[in-house]
Amino acid sequence: MFKTAGGLVALATVLLLAPSASAQPIEIEHAQGTTTLDAVPQSVMVTDWAAFDNLDALGIEVIEGVPASATPPYLAGRVPADAQAIGSLQEPDIEGIAAADPDLVIVASRSRTSYPMLSGIAPTIDLTVDNHDLIAGVEANITRLGAIFDREERAGELVAALDAKVEEARAAAEGKGTGLVIVTNAGRLGVYGPGSRVAWIYDALGVPSVFDDVDDSDHGGDAISFEYLLETNPDWLFVVDRDAGVGGEGAARALLDNDLIHETGFWQNDRIIYLDPAAAYVTMHGYSGLMVLLDQVIAGYEDAS
Amino acid sequence: MGVVVALTMMLAVASLFVGISDVSLSTLFGAGAHDRAMRVLLVSRIPRTAAILLAGSALAIAGLVMQIIVRNRFVEPSTAGTTESASLGFLVVTIFAPGWPLMAKMLVAAVFAFAGTALFLRILRFVPLRDVMLVPLVGIMLGGVIGAVTTFFAYRFDLLPSVLAWTIGDFSGVLRGRYELLWFGLAATILAYVAADRFTVAGLGRDVTTSLGLNYKAVMTFGLALVAVISSVTLVSVGSIPFLGLIVPNVVSLMVGDNMRITVPWVAALGALFVLLCDIVGRIVRYPYEIPIGVTVGVVGSAIFLYLLLRARGSRG
Repeated sequence: MFKTAGGLVALATVLLLAPSASAQPIEIEHAQGTTTLDAVPQSVMVTDWAAFDNLDALGIEVIEGVPASATPPYLAGRVPADAQAIGSLQEPDIEGIAAADPDLVIVASRSRTSYPMLSGIAPTIDLTVDNHDLIAGVEANITRLGAIFDREERAGELVAALDAKVEEARAAAEGKGTGLVIVTNAGRLGVYGPGSRVAWIYDALGVPSVFDDVDDSDHGGDAISFEYLLETNPDWLFVVDRDAGVGGEGAARALLDNDLIHETGFWQNDRIIYLDPAAAYVTMHGYSGLMVLLDQVIAGYEDAS
Repeated sequence: MGVVVALTMMLAVASLFVGISDVSLSTLFGAGAHDRAMRVLLVSRIPRTAAILLAGSALAIAGLVMQIIVRNRFVEPSTAGTTESASLGFLVVTIFAPGWPLMAKMLVAAVFAFAGTALFLRILRFVPLRDVMLVPLVGIMLGGVIGAVTTFFAYRFDLLPSVLAWTIGDFSGVLRGRYELLWFGLAATILAYVAADRFTVAGLGRDVTTSLGLNYKAVMTFGLALVAVISSVTLVSVGSIPFLGLIVPNVVSLMVGDNMRITVPWVAALGALFVLLCDIVGRIVRYPYEIPIGVTVGVVGSAIFLYLLLRARGSRG
């Protein structure tokens, strides 16, 4: 009897200890190697808004450092008031991070070159996403963060919700014709093609593009003229309004409102979808941002039909 | 001169037929003529070609006027802080009064360009011996400082990509209704021609100018104003086109000498021709995408700039 009781106690002890099993060191594989964490991080510094977006979506509230600039408006209310500003998106404040001594630092696309430096200061992971398979990359990051912070279940829900939203957008776009993603900036136009930060519109949603090769070698996309839009005449135009992203509201619409564009089908049929500039241009690999964009795409297709 | 003008005219006509839309004599006037080709011609092609001719000639003239005022062959708006100042002005007005009409923004940019160039002239007073190499270096350093201020504020206000877009000259966005400010450049060019003799005299120095009965300060201020207006209208309309104002007047000087009455038409025509050529190349090389004019002119221009600098050093032994 006592033996059994002792056995039960032992079993109960094991069961009680089980949740803290994740306090065992865990190894995280990421874009620049493998990082070992001794326990669930209690203080995190992110050098990238997409990483913040994903942590926020997972409900993780131990973020103590965020980028100093370019806060996406859709995230602004979520940033802890006492979060430390740790440098620009491209150049994290290495000294500030070192002084704060966080349990985990997250770098990503824009800040990835500071990985060697930061990984010598604190456990650091690189969550850079390959734009050629953007949705899968974002989901892998959510799963990875879920494992680190012991939120596997929530991560699973987010991945499922994202998959469902992509499927919904895919269905909305199906059979609706070709599309083209452009960026407007200071009165000029650029096209975004495969491998760009918005390539998922072509890859994941299956929107047929109007071109075969766009080399998105610089951030603004390839420079094009209004004639390019007139001649390629996509059925749908997706616009990343870089000017609106910095406060010039509706700048892209004013820019497109001209005699040449009035000739195009997408203008005449009102098939222009203005994407959230911050989500498309700044975060692009964040869960909430992607959901915002997907909702805009779905709404755009549904409103027009 | 006749050859240059004829060549420019020929290229200008050719420029009307380079682009993505099908614009040719047959689509314009042929049997199956449709009004789309004509519309593209009127809305897109003619404005673009006009913008190129206006910006090219005006910027080259701005360089010529600056070189005479400063009495140094190696200055022009982009090597004297003028372009950077105009850019800063445009940024300031974009931040504080984004809703102002383009004309008002351009005026603010012009005021900044004027102030920046005046500052450059003031600094030059302290440059010993007016070393031929030192003058453009001082200008480039001043431009660097002003550019750093611009970058700082652009960064704080998340406007860096916009500033980058202004600073790279690009005609791809030119359409009817979006380049007309450049006609001010033509006005400035004509004024430069009218005042050519005064500038030539002022180029001889304060003492000579004053003894010939001219108001030296007034001539200088007028020259500065012309340069500021040209720099700011081109910056606001199409962006900055580096080195143009430097190489064209120098090449003309090698060809026909330094009498401004003679050189102004040459500089204007060659400036237009050079930009026209670079823009056509930029439109063709990566068709259907474009290479911004700032890049093509920058590549060719910096090579010629280096050649001119080394040549000057060589001739001084």
